[in-house]
Amino acid sequence: MDSAVHRLETVSLRKEYPGTLALDDVSVSFTGGKIHALIGKNGAGKSTLVKLLAGAIQPTRGSILVNGEEVRLRSPRDALRRGIITVHQELSLVPELSVAENVLLGRLPRKPWLGVSIIDWRTVFDRAKDILTNLGIDIDVRLKAGRLGVAQQQVVEIAKAMSYNPSVLILDEPTSALAQHETERLFELLRTLAARGVVLLYITHRLQELQRIADTVTVLRNGSLVGVVDIAEASTARIVQMMFGEILQRTKPAGLVAREEPFMEVRKLSKRNAFRNIHFTVRRGEILGIAGLLGSGRTELLRALFGADPPDEGEILIEGTAVRPSSPMEMKRLGVALTPENRKEQGLVLPLSTRLNVCLSSLDRITTGGFLTRARERAVVEKSIRDLDIAVANAEAPVASLSGGNQQKVVVGKWLNIEPRLVLFDEPTRGIDLQAKQQMFQIIWDMSARGIGSIVVSSELEELLDVCHRILIMRQGEIVGEVRPSDISLDQLFAACMEEQA
Amino acid sequence: MIASPKLRSLLSEGILEIILVLFCIFLSFSAPGFLTAGNLLNVLRNVSMQGVIAFGMTMVIISGEIDLSVGSAVAFAGCLTAFITQTLAGDTFGLPLHVAIPIAICATLTVGFFVGTFTGIMRTKFQVPSFITTLALMTGLSGAAELITNGFPLTPFPSWYNFIGGGYLFGIPFPALIFLLVFATLQFLMNYTSFGRSVYAVGGNAEAARLSGIDVNRVKRLVLGTTALLAALSGIMQSSEIMSGTATTAKGWELDIIAAVIIGGTSLMGGVGRIWGTMIGVVFLGVIMNGMTLLNVSEYWQHVVRGALILVAVLLNLLQKGKERQ
Repeated sequence: MDSAVHRLETVSLRKEYPGTLALDDVSVSFTGGKIHALIGKNGAGKSTLVKLLAGAIQPTRGSILVNGEEVRLRSPRDALRRGIITVHQELSLVPELSVAENVLLGRLPRKPWLGVSIIDWRTVFDRAKDILTNLGIDIDVRLKAGRLGVAQQQVVEIAKAMSYNPSVLILDEPTSALAQHETERLFELLRTLAARGVVLLYITHRLQELQRIADTVTVLRNGSLVGVVDIAEASTARIVQMMFGEILQRTKPAGLVAREEPFMEVRKLSKRNAFRNIHFTVRRGEILGIAGLLGSGRTELLRALFGADPPDEGEILIEGTAVRPSSPMEMKRLGVALTPENRKEQGLVLPLSTRLNVCLSSLDRITTGGFLTRARERAVVEKSIRDLDIAVANAEAPVASLSGGNQQKVVVGKWLNIEPRLVLFDEPTRGIDLQAKQQMFQIIWDMSARGIGSIVVSSELEELLDVCHRILIMRQGEIVGEVRPSDISLDQLFAACMEEQA
Repeated sequence: MIASPKLRSLLSEGILEIILVLFCIFLSFSAPGFLTAGNLLNVLRNVSMQGVIAFGMTMVIISGEIDLSVGSAVAFAGCLTAFITQTLAGDTFGLPLHVAIPIAICATLTVGFFVGTFTGIMRTKFQVPSFITTLALMTGLSGAAELITNGFPLTPFPSWYNFIGGGYLFGIPFPALIFLLVFATLQFLMNYTSFGRSVYAVGGNAEAARLSGIDVNRVKRLVLGTTALLAALSGIMQSSEIMSGTATTAKGWELDIIAAVIIGGTSLMGGVGRIWGTMIGVVFLGVIMNGMTLLNVSEYWQHVVRGALILVAVLLNLLQKGKERQ
């Protein structure tokens, strides 16, 4: 493989949309052999820059240089031809095709046979295997891609990208769906790639990763370049300050304690292939964390408690009365709410407006006998936007146009409007920026003060430590321990989640 | 071009309405007899029977489903009404027609509703796509219509029965009044009730709707049931207009109706659409037919123009959406 050191530069790169300046004359240079992290909060211009480099959109002015030569990227195809490849956050493997076919998609080797050109399957598998082996990846190339886990799919996607011998490889939040030990393996792969002279541009939200993987950090804010720093010289605090300017770091209010009365009691709850023998109690206003790795059964547990996928066995009591969580409708009636793991696919109706989404769970509260009262609806919507500080220019615009953090607030607002008594949060801070995270925590604390309990599932263990009263540790479908944030360090909590699994 | 933002948004959101108005102005100058009350009411009458179904179809498509059986359902409903009337008024029961006919109408509407509910149950209980069930019903209902009529039109109706599909009330064709009433009802239902909201939510993202505590299955059953009910209503109007139950009427209506819905801006992907848009789509198709007939354009050309209109309308819609996204 060619091992020249590549270089990517932008000169006064600018992108304007009607009414907004998405990228403001950004001039920056990335050299090969290093891993460059690109960070900034939602709306800072990261994705605009990535789209420009990927040829998905055209700059208003300014230029892009690959190895000193100016390139015009009119389409993703152009970018590919110039050696710039982007691996997107959403994986794009074809699940029904083999790993080998996915890697060589669109350029399967052929051979002549009876005068026609047919696919040369032997070469397909051999070549794909070579590509993977060369990168130190051990995956059976004959497996269907859909049978691989997310982490392995990611690796295959990267191998596919590398097989084009790119000068520049852009990774858009590659770790957002990975568990911690999978992330480590990915990092090893990235270091191998960097050593070959490729320019690696790495977009992430996870600040704690930077020290482990990045060589330099490029920070964008409001479309402008704030600065480029070597990781060795930058503390996390410094980076946060660059990203946000000055922000208020909020901490859990000192006097915030759960009430005495239990709200939900869970006894011996089981669901096949998901979780076993789950036993716990949440009190009114209590913030209960569930710490566990991806695949520990935590999401399945929350969905079962909400009636989305009813459990096989066991008992749930709400204020002492046994209930059957047979459907979300039933649990909603009892005051239980769920903000799902994947807000775009499960939490929001993207083509509909913010107004309609905010009222979705509480339709009975803005109607009389099934008929809508516009005035009541308007009051509810305005209250949600004000209380949750949702940044929305026009409540009539599709909710898809909001940033991740604001979308998440819409999902939460939707449920606060039913005046819930217990909210189940599944990864409430995934893909949202630090400021929005702080606001999410504040919402959870405010709820607690009003006697509304929460169960919070999160991969970000330090967030659980910051937010919760009490944390259950879940491993391979079972609850294996219970801790108070004050009694345990992050490392210990992480180890407790990992045990027997690494 | 210098245009205020207000004018520009009117241009992009009401583009179809504007084209329709321009087209009408053009016709009123070039086609003699277009701009008369009589002719315009005639247009309304002509579109009314497909129109009542189109409003239901709009709900179905917004909810993410489809109903291909409405054409056959119209024929079946007409034949069923005639068949029940004939049976009840016949020797065995000997009921007078003014008793038999209302019973036949109510029975037909009920059967219609349950046919749609059946599609809904297949969809929600057994995960059979509505496309498949209604494709089967399209053939099945057509055959059932032939069976109960033995292949010949049934003509048990007295002359006053013609009022429903051919009569006038206050000088307005009665079927046009039914059409306007159905429009007003569904317009209200979709915009001012929690049911309407649920339809949009279910079509836009069924899983999110379910996780918001909305009864997705009930919404789908009701939407499909209502539309089949409207198809039965249309079949009764049709049988009244032609004064018989005929198994071969309304062939291919489902596609005309889906075309009107799409022209009106409803997305086949679900979650997006307006009853008002369908009104424009229905009237547009009616005006084109009427205008071209008045202009003596051959029927073959009329089909070509309709085809072009579908494409242009959808293109305009997509272009406008593209602009919004930027």
